[in-house]
Amino acid sequence: MYSRKNQSDLTRTEKKRLVDAILQLKRSGRYDEFVSLHRQYYVTDADRRPRAAHMTPSFFPWHRRYLLEFEKALQTVDAGVTVPYWDWTRDNTPAASLWAEDFLGGNGRAGDRQVMTGPFAYARGDWPIRTGITDDRFLRRDLGRPSAPVTLPTKADVDRALSDPVYDTAPWNSVSTTGFRNRIEGWGIRGSRGVANHNRVHRWIGGSMAGAASPDDPVFWLHHAYIDLLWTRWQKAHPRARYLPDRSLAADDPQRGRVFALDDPMPPWDVKPSQLMDHTRLYRYV
Amino acid sequence: MDPTTATPGPAVPAGTTPAAGPPAPAPHRPARRAVLRTAFTTTLVAGTAGALAPVLLKDPGTPDRGARRSQAPERFSETYRGRHIRGTATAVVPAGVHPGAAAASTTTAADVTIDGRPLHVMRRADGSYLSEVNHYESFPTLLETARAAVDELGTARLAPTTPHTI
Repeated sequence: MYSRKNQSDLTRTEKKRLVDAILQLKRSGRYDEFVSLHRQYYVTDADRRPRAAHMTPSFFPWHRRYLLEFEKALQTVDAGVTVPYWDWTRDNTPAASLWAEDFLGGNGRAGDRQVMTGPFAYARGDWPIRTGITDDRFLRRDLGRPSAPVTLPTKADVDRALSDPVYDTAPWNSVSTTGFRNRIEGWGIRGSRGVANHNRVHRWIGGSMAGAASPDDPVFWLHHAYIDLLWTRWQKAHPRARYLPDRSLAADDPQRGRVFALDDPMPPWDVKPSQLMDHTRLYRYV
Repeated sequence: MDPTTATPGPAVPAGTTPAAGPPAPAPHRPARRAVLRTAFTTTLVAGTAGALAPVLLKDPGTPDRGARRSQAPERFSETYRGRHIRGTATAVVPAGVHPGAAAASTTTAADVTIDGRPLHVMRRADGSYLSEVNHYESFPTLLETARAAVDELGTARLAPTTPHTI
């Protein structure tokens, strides 16, 4: 049992230990395996294949397990490290301590968006990007996208999602207009709503975080820890609500075989959403 | 074993295809393609991109739009913010499917390049597109997808990888 803290509460030493553990995973090659795994499981809902990670009810449990795997890898380097969370409704400007020199480093520069400060700046030599979306091997950020400004989601945006009493709804994909899952995952829906919450934060950071290899930016883990915390808050707010779909879909349902019901094992870990509903034996949020 | 406990070692080697899925087998792409090949098909190729509205950098609070265009095949070639973007989409509509039916009824071959380098493009269930550069928002047309990628890249260049077709 360990604690995941708000990143704004971390001491200088805690930040340094986390950064050092991340850099060690990068050196060993394990970090890039996590980036590749995320990219590999990015299956969209126009694709007639199983999709465990995105545009799907199992968005929350898949990413919970993905974070647990990453956290365990960190702990093989330093047993005292856990993944902190970033509450982007509060620490919502480029001036937040999250982006300081002693933690994740700052914004990308004008032009090529290259991050120039902090431990993940290319010039430090510790953070070469190998995922191959761009020619360049540096981490990119474009906080707030000044060319067409994006704002971070607000507490009201999050509260609206948390107040939805239903976990997810048909068609169980990126165009589900109601349900907590897609309100937080945040796909824009024509004629209904714009890009929201989870997706919008990826966009606000921009650069590497906006693309297919988003875990190339270590802020990915802090963002997703907060998403994981929001799932826990939703469960507490709706104690009688269940993960949906709670049983395999009917034979004539177009999403059968493509989305993961409560007891359908998810790749690559062969773990059921039902096995990931409660994290309190492993960690808690403080 | 406690299912919430992480397993040691790398989960899946990069480059492999996620194989496991929910119990019901999903239709395989090759089978679908074979059906499309043998059925009578209608191929539609658009003319110029002149009819496309220049909606790109919209207010993040504005819902995605463009339902009427999302089904329309495209072909464009232009210079946008100093970058040469090109794109071609060819929609293949199986005979007997109403043109207004869901996007899933239509397969699209899409090729987009920025300065000659391929931009990997995927689709959503509503027929809109997303690219490897903008993975968390989608666009009604390939032209908007390509322009948004240029905006996100700044002066960075795409990697010279193998062209991808959806």
